[in-house]
Amino acid sequence: MNGTPVISLREIGKSYGNFELGPVNLNIEAGYVVAVVGSNGGGKSTLIRMLMNLVQPDSGELKLFGGIYPDDEVAIKRRVAYVPERPIGHDEMGANSLGEFVSRFYPTWNGRLYEDLLKRSEIDPDKGFGELSKGIQRRLAFALALATGPELLLLDEPTAGVDPFGRREMLEDISRFINDEDGRTVVFATHVMEEVRRIADYVAFLADGEFLGLHEKDALLEGWKIFWVDGEPEGDVRGLVEVEDGSPARIVSCSPQETAEVLSAQNIRILRSGALDLEEILSHLMHRSREEGLAGCKSV
Amino acid sequence: MSEEKSFPRPYPRVPIHLSMDDPEPMYRQIESQLRDFILSGQLEPGTRLPSMRALAKDLSCSVITTRRAYEDLEGEGFIRTRQGRGTIIAEIPEERMAAHRREAVDGAFTEAVRTGRRAGLTEEELHDILEEILHRDDANVHQRGTS
Repeated sequence: MNGTPVISLREIGKSYGNFELGPVNLNIEAGYVVAVVGSNGGGKSTLIRMLMNLVQPDSGELKLFGGIYPDDEVAIKRRVAYVPERPIGHDEMGANSLGEFVSRFYPTWNGRLYEDLLKRSEIDPDKGFGELSKGIQRRLAFALALATGPELLLLDEPTAGVDPFGRREMLEDISRFINDEDGRTVVFATHVMEEVRRIADYVAFLADGEFLGLHEKDALLEGWKIFWVDGEPEGDVRGLVEVEDGSPARIVSCSPQETAEVLSAQNIRILRSGALDLEEILSHLMHRSREEGLAGCKSV
Repeated sequence: MSEEKSFPRPYPRVPIHLSMDDPEPMYRQIESQLRDFILSGQLEPGTRLPSMRALAKDLSCSVITTRRAYEDLEGEGFIRTRQGRGTIIAEIPEERMAAHRREAVDGAFTEAVRTGRRAGLTEEELHDILEEILHRDDANVHQRGTS
C-alpha cells in the first residue's frame, strides 16, 4: 500500500487489567475492504472502538484521514459510519423515524438508498427498533450507516444473528458500497471466515491482544502450501511451519519455493502439493506467534 | 448519488474459474482465461467487463488480484479502461489476433517436440506422428460433419 492512509496507527497500545492490546502498527489505504479477525476477546472491538474515539489508547498515535482525536473529531466523524457490536438504545423508534433523525446530521444522507435497503431487508419501517429480531436490528443499523454516505465504514460483527440469506445480501451491499465510488474503505471485525474469504482484500489479525500484521488475503492463500512428501526433512528448512509424520508426511510451508528447494536438495520427493484454507493459515499464524515468532512468514 | 449508482447496471458475468491448486497465481489465471475468451472471439471488442471490485466479489478474490490482471491485460492491449466508464474489450488488429493464436499453437508444438525428443524419437518419426494425427483428426471432423 502506498499514498496517504485513511487509517494510520503507530505503536498503539491499550491495557485493561490483565488484557493488553498492541502495539498495533497499521496503515489502511482508501479503496480496500479490511477484515479484522482473531479470537473472541482478542481486541477486535477495542481496536474498532478506538477508531471511533470511544476508547482512547494509552500510547501511540492514531490518525484518521490525517486528523487526530479530539482536535479533528467533528471533521473525522462526518466521513465515518460505525455499526457497533451491540445496538445503543433507541428501542421505541422505528426505521422511518430513525432515518429522519439520522439524516439531519448528514448532508450526504442518501434517502433513496436507505429506502431500498429497508425494502430489501424486509424491515417494517414503523415497527419499533426494540421489537425487531436481532438479525433485523443488525440490518437496520447497517442500512443507517450506509445511507449516511460515509467514506469509511466501520463494522463490528455486522452479520451476527443475521440469517444466511440476509448475510449474503449484506456482503453484497458492502461490495456495492465500495464499488460505487472511488476512495471508500471498509473495516469490519468478524469471526466468520467465510465473510473474510468472500469480500476482504486485507486481513488484520489479532490474537489475545497481539497484533499479527496486515496481510494481503490472496498473498496468504497463494503463499502457503501443503506438501505431501516421501521423507521428513532435516535441519533448518526455510518456510517450514509444520510437519505431520506419516508416509507420506504432510508439510505446511509459508514459503513454498524455498521449502521445495531444501526438499529437493535433501532428495525428498513432493508427491502432491495443495492449498491451505484461510482458517488453517490463520491458526498457524496465531500458533507461531505464541511460540517462535513469524520468521520466514511475511506480512504486508 | 444517482439511482444507477445504487442499482449498478448489470454486467456480463465472465465464466472465469479460479483454482487454488493451480500453481499459477490467481491474477495469472484470470489473465489467461480472459485472454483466451478474447482471442477466441467469445468476448467481442466493446464488450463491457465487470469492474475490478465486481469481478473480485464474483471470484472471492481481492481487488488487488483483479487490478493486477486488468492492468496486465491493458498493458498488452486486450482491454481498455476509461475513467468513470468502466473496462471494455479493446479492438485488436487481425494480425495481432493471428499472431497470438499462432503463439498458442507454437507453444503446444514445441512442447510436443520436446516430449518426443525426450522419448528418443527421430525427426522423421515425429513427422510421421504429426501426419498420422492430422489424418486421424481429419477423419474425426469428417465423421462429425456427416452424422
